Amino acid sequence: MNDKVAINLLTTGVPGLDQVLGGGVPEFSFNLIMGPPGSGKTTLAHQIMFALATPERPALFFTVLGEPPLKMLRYQQQFSFFDFDKVSESIRFVNLSEDVVTGNYDQTLVRITQELESSSPALVIIDSFRSAVLETSRQSRGAIRLQQFIQQLGVLLSGWQTTAFLVGEFLSSCDPNPVLTVADGLLSLDQKVYRNSMVRQLQVLKMRGQDTRPGMHTFRITSAGIEIFAAAVVRIDTGDETVANVTLRSEVRLTMGVPRLDEMLGGGLPAGYSLLVAGPSGSGKTILATAFLAEGVRCGEPGIIVAFEQTPSQSWVRTLNDLVRSGKIGLINTRTLDLSMDEIVQHLTNLIHKMKATRVVIDSLSGFELAVAPAFREDFRESLFRMITVLSGLGVTVLLTSELEDRYIDLRFSPYGSAFLTDAIIVQRYIEVESRLKRVMAVVKVRASAHSTEIRQFEITDEGIVIGDPVLDYEGLLGGRPTRTPAPETDKRGKP
Amino acid sequence: MPTPDSRREAIRRTLEEHSGGGSDAAAVAEATISTWHQMAGRLSPVIGVQGVNVLFSRSLHLTSATFPWLVNDGDRGSNAAQLATLEARLAGCKPEVSAEASYALLVNFTELLTTLIGAPLTGRLLSPVWEPQSSAIEREAQP
Repeated sequence: MNDKVAINLLTTGVPGLDQVLGGGVPEFSFNLIMGPPGSGKTTLAHQIMFALATPERPALFFTVLGEPPLKMLRYQQQFSFFDFDKVSESIRFVNLSEDVVTGNYDQTLVRITQELESSSPALVIIDSFRSAVLETSRQSRGAIRLQQFIQQLGVLLSGWQTTAFLVGEFLSSCDPNPVLTVADGLLSLDQKVYRNSMVRQLQVLKMRGQDTRPGMHTFRITSAGIEIFAAAVVRIDTGDETVANVTLRSEVRLTMGVPRLDEMLGGGLPAGYSLLVAGPSGSGKTILATAFLAEGVRCGEPGIIVAFEQTPSQSWVRTLNDLVRSGKIGLINTRTLDLSMDEIVQHLTNLIHKMKATRVVIDSLSGFELAVAPAFREDFRESLFRMITVLSGLGVTVLLTSELEDRYIDLRFSPYGSAFLTDAIIVQRYIEVESRLKRVMAVVKVRASAHSTEIRQFEITDEGIVIGDPVLDYEGLLGGRPTRTPAPETDKRGKP
Repeated sequence: MPTPDSRREAIRRTLEEHSGGGSDAAAVAEATISTWHQMAGRLSPVIGVQGVNVLFSRSLHLTSATFPWLVNDGDRGSNAAQLATLEARLAGCKPEVSAEASYALLVNFTELLTTLIGAPLTGRLLSPVWEPQSSAIEREAQP
């Protein structure tokens, strides 16, 4: 028989938070929400409180010396989660500032105890904690010490069967605050300003007994409150599973929607693969991506495009627009410059589930890197890896385009070293033939599959990409200045 | 949700009820102070005594534009002194003027609070004060 105590988890209702916490907040836990001013502490506490408070599970919100309660009520009610029906019915606001100003720890504890007795709350929030600590420590002569106060507060709040949140200002690591050891959970909020962008992040420093998700999780505060984008986790599969996945994935091949390209890929793009289409500006990467999505729609495979590029109004763009407008293709179009990879992955994952999409296009990595907040650019490659892993875990086939600086001294596929991250690569180049720019395309890699190694000329027409024959009579194409190969013997004899 | 008019009406009705019809200035003064204490009692746990006092001083100041005799400059900064002056001045004038000034003060206070925290929250916090005495008694009589 298992007599271990079962810890009930309370789902917080903050999008993404329960995921980060490993399921929710343990009941009767004593948690600290900390962060510098303006990082969203009070908003997070309010959002959790409004989600959890019910007449059966009433909440008590103590305001201390932080934000004046009038202002807090004025501003917090702007959020859509602020439910007037819950105020006074299941949520009580209590102001403690007078007790803290005039009293000491003992008196503050007595006052809190009185309030606990009179309303028997299941949830208690104390905002803000550091101000209480500072104020009381100033007047603590002769009274119990700070550490004892916190210890007693912890015991009191758990003893009264409350799940408690203490909201606190920034606590520096060189100021080891006793509350850090007493607390069962520590949520740290932060905002980073880098150049002209601001990124909000949340970290679970501690949550007793919970399998929390490590790392910094970005979040946004909108009129609906806080939304957290849990950092994608890369799962470690056993070797067997990987092999099984590869076999399974490559069994089905997707058609690309460009005549002759499937043939070049060895029979189409294996489902679940990620394909990098690299090429210089104007070489036709987006057109290829559009064809891939349009073909998906034709085959009953819904697709999604994550667009970071401004595209001119050409006929194939209109095709794309029509498909998006008719809802056959999902569009994530973003021009913000403070994005995190996790936010995009979250939106993308939601949309993939909603549309049951199997094809995803990211156009382009260069635009993506620009849209990502400068603070994340250093980690771009790592985040890209995480994103591709998550998408591949969802079983979708991904096409990524990448701007390639046309350099003829070296053969490059991508500026991010992302080539090795993808399962397949198509490279597009310009070549000069008889003083004209021509486009060529080649399949560089298709993991675990045979594919064509030919370099083929192609043209872009109103109908899309038209792939021509292999360029047999030139060599040095990738260097950009091909030379005509000596004519074979058969030609000399005039035979075809 | 009560409209501004219905809330004003409730304030007027409450003052009349508490002062026994408003025919005696002393009764009006007493009703004003007791109603005020009820309001402060509802609000101070939430917004703090200081918050309540600040709003009271501001509404008294606004009301004194029409009824300058309600305030004494020497009372500034002391809520207790302001209340004492208010009670004495209300008790010392004609009942109908007293009732009008008292009504204006409580309306100003409620509307000031509304501009800060909005009508729904103000209503939730203060509606028990405006509840007709008869229905409050009925409610308490219920198990």
